[in-house]
Formats: sequence, structure tokens, C-alpha cells
Amino acid sequence: MENKNPIITATGITKSFGSGDLFTTILKSIDVTIMQGEFVAIMGKSGAGKSTLMYQLSVLDEPTSGTLTIGGESIESKNENERTSFRLETLGYVFQDYALVPDLNAEENVMIPLVMRGMNWSQARSVAQQAIAAVGLPTKYKNLPSELSGGEQQRIAVARAVAGKPKILFADEPTANLDSFSSRQVIDLISSLNRNFGQTIVMVTHEREYALGCNRIIHMEDGRIIREEILKPL
Amino acid sequence: MRILRIGLLLGIRQIQRASIWTNVLIVFVMALTFLNLIAVSGILVGLIVGAERAVREDSLGDIIISAKAGDDHISETERIVREINAFPELQTYSVRYTGAGILEANYKQRRDLTGERDIANVKVTGIDPMSEDVMTGLPDALIAGEYLDPDEEGYILVGALYIKEYAAQFQDIFETVENVAPGDTVRLTVNNISKEFIIKGILKSKVDEVSLNTYIPEREFRRLFNRIDRNADQIVVRLNEPGANTEVKAALVASGLGTVAKIQTYEEGVPKFLTDIKNTFNVLGTFIGSIGIVVASITIFIIIFINALARRRFIGILKGIGIDRKAIEIAYVIQAGVYAFVGSMIGVIITYVVLIPYFDANPINFPFSDGILVAEPVGTLVRFLILFLITLLAGYIPAWLIARGNTLNAILGRK
Repeated sequence: MENKNPIITATGITKSFGSGDLFTTILKSIDVTIMQGEFVAIMGKSGAGKSTLMYQLSVLDEPTSGTLTIGGESIESKNENERTSFRLETLGYVFQDYALVPDLNAEENVMIPLVMRGMNWSQARSVAQQAIAAVGLPTKYKNLPSELSGGEQQRIAVARAVAGKPKILFADEPTANLDSFSSRQVIDLISSLNRNFGQTIVMVTHEREYALGCNRIIHMEDGRIIREEILKPL
Repeated sequence: MRILRIGLLLGIRQIQRASIWTNVLIVFVMALTFLNLIAVSGILVGLIVGAERAVREDSLGDIIISAKAGDDHISETERIVREINAFPELQTYSVRYTGAGILEANYKQRRDLTGERDIANVKVTGIDPMSEDVMTGLPDALIAGEYLDPDEEGYILVGALYIKEYAAQFQDIFETVENVAPGDTVRLTVNNISKEFIIKGILKSKVDEVSLNTYIPEREFRRLFNRIDRNADQIVVRLNEPGANTEVKAALVASGLGTVAKIQTYEEGVPKFLTDIKNTFNVLGTFIGSIGIVVASITIFIIIFINALARRRFIGILKGIGIDRKAIEIAYVIQAGVYAFVGSMIGVIITYVVLIPYFDANPINFPFSDGILVAEPVGTLVRFLILFLITLLAGYIPAWLIARGNTLNAILGRK
């Protein structure tokens, strides 16, 4: 029963850019609810607004209008510092191109959000090493991002995103820059988090193949949700 | 605290991963800036301190005893000499008699008695040649001839600035006689009493007190100036510990000598204009050095700005995953701080280990002093703190500008 509580409730989410002749509305009054423990893929052609929707849902951006509630907390009333803190405590991110800090080694990349959360250094290191081992790279703790392949970097990014046990994991086209083998590894890794730990996941992808393991696919076109496809009911 | 720790980690790693040549260049700029800040004012001040040091070593010593206001000479000179001799801090002293006279040269060759005489109004100092040698090393100032022999009479030492050939660079500022050299006979006239002297030596020093002076043995001085009471005009004292002169002066005053003579430490006796010039040069040097600080802070600003701009996306990602903006700003401030600290420390080492000993051993040959490099530790610390704080600010501002930007725009590389 607990898994069926909504964790994200977005109502009337609209996002517009520019002004005058250049005024463009990317998201057009979107309503979406994501349940706790659900693995949702957002799909659509380029320019459909799928990444923009994910940025609104993941508190990286502010919608022009609409309301967003995550884990029972209203987001629109939060200021920039509170939003940063909320992201730290509640959300995990996997970006398209790994987004590891190039000056930090794998372990440090995973550690810093943990230290920011208040963990002491040795505790954070231990948790980071466990997370890195869990993504299958136990010998790469000290490697710099430049010393890792794209697939390995993305797995470290996944380790960073989940090490702090976020309520929701957001993945923005996590396989976009990977070869098919590495893409499969990363998708399997993300899927296993949902399957084994009930991790709520929102993933943007344009590859249907990688969305097949999801509970639900949200199809977008021209800033609107045009269809929802239930693959595995919760 | 956790923000500081993350900032520290990010800052240190950025320095570690930066190109070694970038780091070396930045540290080099900071070290040069620090040296500029220290050296410009240090040399300007050193020019005066060099002059002061020369006056102290070659003329005035650590304590100066002179006649009280209203007295012509030092009363009870012999008592004072007895008492200062009893001080364990005493290293040496010299008793001097001073007066004014007219030095005349070339009078034997003068054919036209109505023509202009070759004369100069001069200062005459009567000394004990041995005591003066120990006290000031006066023989070291000889540029021609020899020093006075204590057993001889009828000899005089003449300061170079009283001789036209040596004072040419000063045009007609000083009264001079011409064409005189050791062995020549000159006439010294005091209160219409004249006495011939043979020039024994010519003295030249950057201390005017030496170069604008004539020296004769004290016995002859007393006779010539009719000073039968043996009361001198100046007693200069050198101590084993020059820094103890305030305490020794206090003890001399406490012993009652203050009632018969004016007792001053060197610092009190040094002409005020020297202190004023020193302070002025210090301000001037600091001002000129400040331009260096501005240049360095702009350099740091640009370096940090470019660095932060190049890493704007990673700054966005760090903010995106929940790292507080302050931690990112601290990282850049720490970077700037490390560069300023390391550069300044290199500057300190160069200043105190290389430059100061070098200039002490090889003073800069200014016309009126042997210039050294002066860098008082307190002044150096103040300048370091100023440079450090300004550099921190120069590192903070660009980091603040970049880090305060929109998180998503930074992540996506949008403007």
C-alpha cells in the first residue's frame, strides 16, 4: 500500500521562454503524478519538452506556472537555498554526459554530497566506496574521471546519485553518450535499483528499448503529454 | 563547517589538478607583487636608514651628550666622563670640542694682497685621535694622506667638502679652498688668532658631519680656542648593546648628569628631517607598491574568473546535486589564498634570506647614503595581510559572480 502513495504531484506545469515574437511555451499545462517506488520513463521526439519537464519535476528549474509537490512538500514556496538543500536531501541526478567533477577522483565525487549532508569524512568515504563497488567498479575509487571510460563515468554518476539514498532518482538520457554495451549496463543498473530497492526513478530517454523495464512510459509531443503507457502496474 | 571542508577539498583539488605551469606563473606573479610591495618602500626607507646608520656609526654613536640649553659647553665634562666610564654597558666614547674658524690656503703663493683670499669658513673639531678612531673609525674616511698621530702637533684633517676639487658636484653650495693636498700648509684663524697646520689627510664620507669638518688634536684645539676649562661640546658614547641606549640614558639622567648636560639617545638626537623623510618615503613606497597589489588582484581576478567560467557547467552540476554555493565560492577563495600565501612566503624568503643580506653587504651607492633594504617584520606582516586579504577578495568576486548564476543554465551551458 505504501508504495502506491504519490511522491510527485505536478499540476498545470507550464514553462515559457522569451518575450514578444520570441515567446515560446515549451510545456503546456502538464499534470502528472508519480507514485512512490515507480519507474517512469518520459519519451518523445526532440523538442517535445521531455527534458524540460524533468527539470521542473527535479527542482532544477522553476515552472512559469503550476504547482509541484514532492514527498508532501510544496516546492514553489522554496527559495534558491532551500531548493538546493531540498535537492541534496531528497533527489538524486544522473545527467547525460556523466557530469563528474574533473578535479575529484571517483570516490570524492561520490563523497561530497554525503559530506554536504553532514556525514563525517570517513563515514562518507566508506559509503562512497560501497556505492562504487555496488555499481561494479570496486577498483576505481581513486581514478579521476579522465581515467574512466564513458560507461564507467556514468556508473560512478549513478553511484553518486544513489549513495545518499534519495527519495527520487532523476536520469536525463543517461545513455545518450554511451555505446550500446555501456548503455545496457547503465540501464540494467538503474533498473536494478528500482527492482531491488524500490527506488522511485524518473528517466528521460528516446530509446524505447531502454524504457521497457519501466512501470510506465509518459509520451510527450509539443509540450503536452499525449499518452501514458502502463508496462508493469505497480 | 561541512561547507568549509567541501570548499577546501574542491579548492585544493583544483590547484592539484591545474597545470603546474599555471600554478608556477600565478605564484611567480604573487611573489613579484609581494617583493614590489616590500622592496619599493624598503629601498626608499633604506636610503634614509642607511644615512641614519652611517650617522650613528661614523659620528653620533648610541648616546649623545651635549651642552644644556643656555650653556656654551658641557659643564663638568670630566665628571661625566668618569661616570660614563663606570657603566658596564659602555663600549667606547669620544669627547669632542667644536668651534668655527676660517681655513685659508695658498696664502704663500698669493702675490696680490688686495685680491681675493682662498678661504672657507669651517667647522673645527678637537678630538683625541685614538678615542675617535675607536669610536667612529674616522681613519676609514681618509681618501688621501694619513690619520692624526696622537703625539704630533700642527697637523689637521680636512673634510673633502671644504676642498673645491672634491666638492665640485655640489657647485658652490659649500665654501671651499682649492688646490690643497696632504702635505700642504693651511692657516686656521679663530678669533683673530691664526695658526698654521699641515694637512695630514683628507676625509670623505657620506656623513656630512665628517666631510664638512676639520679635525685637530684636542690639546691644540683648547689652546687655539682658549678653552682652558676642558669643558667639551659633545660626548658621543657607543654601547655594547645599541638597543639598550634608552635604559642607559635613563640611568645617566638618574645619576644626576641630566642637570649638567643634555643627554639624548641616538633616536632623539637624529635630525628630525631624517625621520620625516623616512616616514614620507615609507608612505610613498607603500603607495607605489599598492599599484602592484591592484595589478596582482586584477591578475588573480582574471585567472579565477576564467577558471570559474571554464568550470561553469561543473559549478552548475555541483549546485544541482545540492552542494551549497558557499562551498564553491570558498573553493575559489582558497585557491586565491593558497596562491597569495605561497607567493608571499616565497617573497618573504627572498626578502629576508637573499635581498636584505645582499644589500647589507653591498649597499646601493646613493650620493648621500649607502642605501640598504629595510623590511621591518611588523611592516612586512601588515603588507602580507593586505595582499592576502585583497587577493582573497579578488578570488571571491569572480567565483560569486559565476556561482550565483542560474543552476540549470550553468548545467546546460546556456547564457
